Amino acid sequence: MIYEIKIALPFYKIAYAVFFIVILSLVRGVTFSYEIGIALEAPMAILAASFCADTYTQEIVSRRSEIQRLYPMKKRIDSVYKRILIQEIFLLSAAAAGYEFFFLFQNPEIDKMGQGGLESEIGQFFIYFAAIAVTLGFWGILSNLFSCLFRNMWMGIGSCLMLWLITNSSIGDRCFGRWNLFSYTFRRIENSRDFSWIYGKMICICIGIIAAAILPKIIEKRG
Amino acid sequence: MVGIKIEDLTVIFKNKVTAINHADLEIPKGIFGLLGENGAGKTTLMRVLTTVLSPASGTVTLDGIRYSEENYEKIQRKIGYLPQEIDLYPNLTVQECLEYMGDLSGISKRIYRERISYYLEKTSLSEHCKKKMKQLSGGMKRRVGLIQALLNEPEFLIVDEPTTGLDPEERIRIRNLLVDFSEGRTVLFSTHVVEDLAATCSQLAVMKKGKFLYSGNIGELLDQAKGHIWICKVKDETMARELEKKYLVSSKQYIGSELQIKLISEIPPQIECGSCEATLEDAYIYIMK
Repeated sequence: MIYEIKIALPFYKIAYAVFFIVILSLVRGVTFSYEIGIALEAPMAILAASFCADTYTQEIVSRRSEIQRLYPMKKRIDSVYKRILIQEIFLLSAAAAGYEFFFLFQNPEIDKMGQGGLESEIGQFFIYFAAIAVTLGFWGILSNLFSCLFRNMWMGIGSCLMLWLITNSSIGDRCFGRWNLFSYTFRRIENSRDFSWIYGKMICICIGIIAAAILPKIIEKRG
Repeated sequence: MVGIKIEDLTVIFKNKVTAINHADLEIPKGIFGLLGENGAGKTTLMRVLTTVLSPASGTVTLDGIRYSEENYEKIQRKIGYLPQEIDLYPNLTVQECLEYMGDLSGISKRIYRERISYYLEKTSLSEHCKKKMKQLSGGMKRRVGLIQALLNEPEFLIVDEPTTGLDPEERIRIRNLLVDFSEGRTVLFSTHVVEDLAATCSQLAVMKKGKFLYSGNIGELLDQAKGHIWICKVKDETMARELEKKYLVSSKQYIGSELQIKLISEIPPQIECGSCEATLEDAYIYIMK
């Protein structure tokens, strides 16, 4: 596993991800604490897509895939899944840190409604954490899938960017509503008891599971 | 005994370029050389043999197993491969990189650790095992690449230019390692360095434009060139240039004030000269012309 960490998380990737989050938390203004999730979800999605796009394609670019072809398929797939998991854990930690950075740099108004429970800051954070975990997982797996399909990480990033532009727009919101991939971003923030955005996240989970399941077939076919 | 049998093999790329054109070849057990100019189709042939590429037509069998999708797994388990260009994990050390690849190849930890230590010693890399891959020279990277190909002790080893970037001493070590390894196995050794093949193989094939110009014994190849290699001495460069216009010159060398020239010609050149022994390089140039 330690070798997979070294392969999946080179210094430059850690550096650009941290830099991205720090800059985002400095320049993206938020007034209230419940806006932090909205500020982070869509940018973190595109970060996940670019971060995970080379999970397997780095093997193709370096020609290591020609050697890997001779290895047992199960071992190869296990290694790809491990790398995705490592990257997702890192991105999730970065997303959690990003949430704190917003508090640090933007000093938003907290607990506006003055209620406990889900309206409390910790409750809000945990809801954000669950939503962003699904978002990161979905975009990471999807970009890796597209990259493997086209054997090119830029195609993976580009395909995800297209989908991102469609779904992270008012058109996307109007078309897909609560089923939108960014339903958490487009949720009605004035009603913290409205959890209809979970439908969108369920779609992310379903597509993510399907993508993870067909990934081995694509790697086997496309090498 | 035939290890690999290729019959009427044709490989056509997506851009319609024919890389291998109705080629036939039999590769016996032992070390077998593959020689040819750039773009002759050597690497394409190796990529077909390692199941990276699928041929447009023709049949290939390895140890009696026919190349087809359902047999790929069986075939892949028998092969070790060093591609011409490979960039192994830059952030891992030599030891880590080999352990990682050993683990991926499905060998038990104890066995791959033993083999890594043995081959690191054999390739003089033991003292560099803690260096990161990105810190290694080109020659060292080639050696690490070769070790990964040997890790699962394959029955068929396919190596594409394993000696590129190595100093003479290291080249000899690697050649000897390949010869030792070839006992009871098939090693397909592709290179531009004719000297390497002369020192290791008794059998070879010469490729040109996707076809085999020659396949067989090195001795027989030398026999084909016999009587067609001439050596002469000229006074100056102007005369040498005149000869170059008329004949194929395989070498030029100043000896004292005279220029000694080796020519390849079917008939005796119209200049004072004598016949000489053909080297593998001469024979290669002779059949390529």
